[in-house]
Amino acid sequence: MGPEVSSPGMGRSSTGSPGSRGRRPSPLFDVRAGLPAHWRWGLAGAGFLAVAGLWLWTAAQGGEGGMVPTPLETWAALVDQWRQGNLWTDFRASVSRIGAGYAISIALGVVVGIGVGSLRSVEAALEAPIGFMRYVPATALTPLLLLWLGIGESPKITLIVVGTVFFNILMVADVARNVPRELLEASYTLGAGRATVLRRIVLRHSVPGIIDVARINLAAGWLMLVVAELLAAEEGLAFRIIRAQRFRQVDTMFAMLVVFGIIGVASDLALRRLRDLSSPWARP
Amino acid sequence: MSAPTKLVVEAVSKTFPGRRRGPAVHALDAVDLHVDAGELVSLVGTSGCGKSTLLRIVAGLEQASSGRVLVEGDRVLGPGPDRGMVFQGYSLFPWLSVAGNVAFGLELAGVVRARRDQRVEELLHVMNLSEHAGRLPRELSGGMRQRVAIARALAPEPDLLLLDEPFGSLDAQTRTSLHEFLRQVWQRTGATIILVTHDVDEALYLSQRVYVMHSRPGRVVEEIALPFGAGLGPAVKRTPQFLDLRDELHDLLLTTPEEPALQPG
Repeated sequence: MGPEVSSPGMGRSSTGSPGSRGRRPSPLFDVRAGLPAHWRWGLAGAGFLAVAGLWLWTAAQGGEGGMVPTPLETWAALVDQWRQGNLWTDFRASVSRIGAGYAISIALGVVVGIGVGSLRSVEAALEAPIGFMRYVPATALTPLLLLWLGIGESPKITLIVVGTVFFNILMVADVARNVPRELLEASYTLGAGRATVLRRIVLRHSVPGIIDVARINLAAGWLMLVVAELLAAEEGLAFRIIRAQRFRQVDTMFAMLVVFGIIGVASDLALRRLRDLSSPWARP
Repeated sequence: MSAPTKLVVEAVSKTFPGRRRGPAVHALDAVDLHVDAGELVSLVGTSGCGKSTLLRIVAGLEQASSGRVLVEGDRVLGPGPDRGMVFQGYSLFPWLSVAGNVAFGLELAGVVRARRDQRVEELLHVMNLSEHAGRLPRELSGGMRQRVAIARALAPEPDLLLLDEPFGSLDAQTRTSLHEFLRQVWQRTGATIILVTHDVDEALYLSQRVYVMHSRPGRVVEEIALPFGAGLGPAVKRTPQFLDLRDELHDLLLTTPEEPALQPG
């Protein structure tokens, strides 16, 4: 930007003109620095408008075929689904599946992850099998799960567990490994035994990290849910998408995608809030 | 000097296995020392002389490769609340308040609530922390944090208080004021204290005896009983006797023969 280019290493203007050394950082591209509020909100608004504009433009291009509905058509489809009672049933079905599956996954992830991250014996025994299972695409297990568990709720919940638990374990293990050694040693010298240290120090210190892990991997949980519902379901948000596809109701399909996005953003915000409330000491 | 012996370290050696097929590190070589009840003894040496390793072996956080450690005649096998420890920093539980940190050891010992609160209150008063009882560690200055750490270690009434360079990361002014604090605490509680430090002035000012350590392998090369009474204030630091001892200690630390100059230890 400026006419003077700093000579490397010395930080002086090469022209020898007086009165200027170094370069003032631009407010927009200052690495890790704060951003003035007007830029922040302005850029956020611009990003939103850009997406909305892109949507409107593609909808206009789509023309009579109706392959891309406008936001208004999508909204109308959503209201329609609500009136028919589908939206609530689908929402309840999907959310209870992911609630059950993901709760199991997190519970296993915390117990096993704390063990892997804290005890070398558990780590030695489990790291290889977990590493292997993590690379087996869980979606590839879907046919097997359907074969073994039928087409009820259990294969869907199991798929959510299998698709997320190995990530949860390994990431919780990393969180547990980051508990400062001094805290463990201080508690030993205060009379704590191993079990007390695991529960009152390692687990307690890991709470905000665990909530972050849950937040990040929840997206993978939704992915598994969608796969399960696409293959075999009577209700559910992803089931509704397949169903709408059969009748070429693109607006309904879009409506369901928007619902997924809203649920995702809402759960993300809720988990961040939970993290801050549970562990104010870890706030940046 | 008829106080009973509190701590005996007998021929303690420590060898760390080398990393990646490197040579084994001989951290401590046949160290002998003792500390009497009520004494404040310093271990002084440059970094890498094994003084912290020795303290950690006394705490039970490391195992000696050979030799043994006895506290009141009992062999040390692992850590316990009878040997309180203060680390250089970052050892307070960040989710617990000041009072919660100090109460931690008492809780583990099963001290009933009322007695616990009373003891915490006493300790916070001694450490001049009463008005900060409800604050979190992150809201405290470095000096306050170390005072909390000392109070926490003292709470279960340990036989020995082990201080591992507790003032090393503080600025000079804070360090000086904490020296006075430690003296008061020592006089009021009658605790037996081992202080690990690389700061010669700190060791001379605070302790009754000093063990000087050299590195490679870490070993005790000199034991010096200090003539200063505990009642003397900071003025003692300007007496000729103090200054002579200071020079002597600095010379002792400089004459580590194997250590090449300009190499971090």
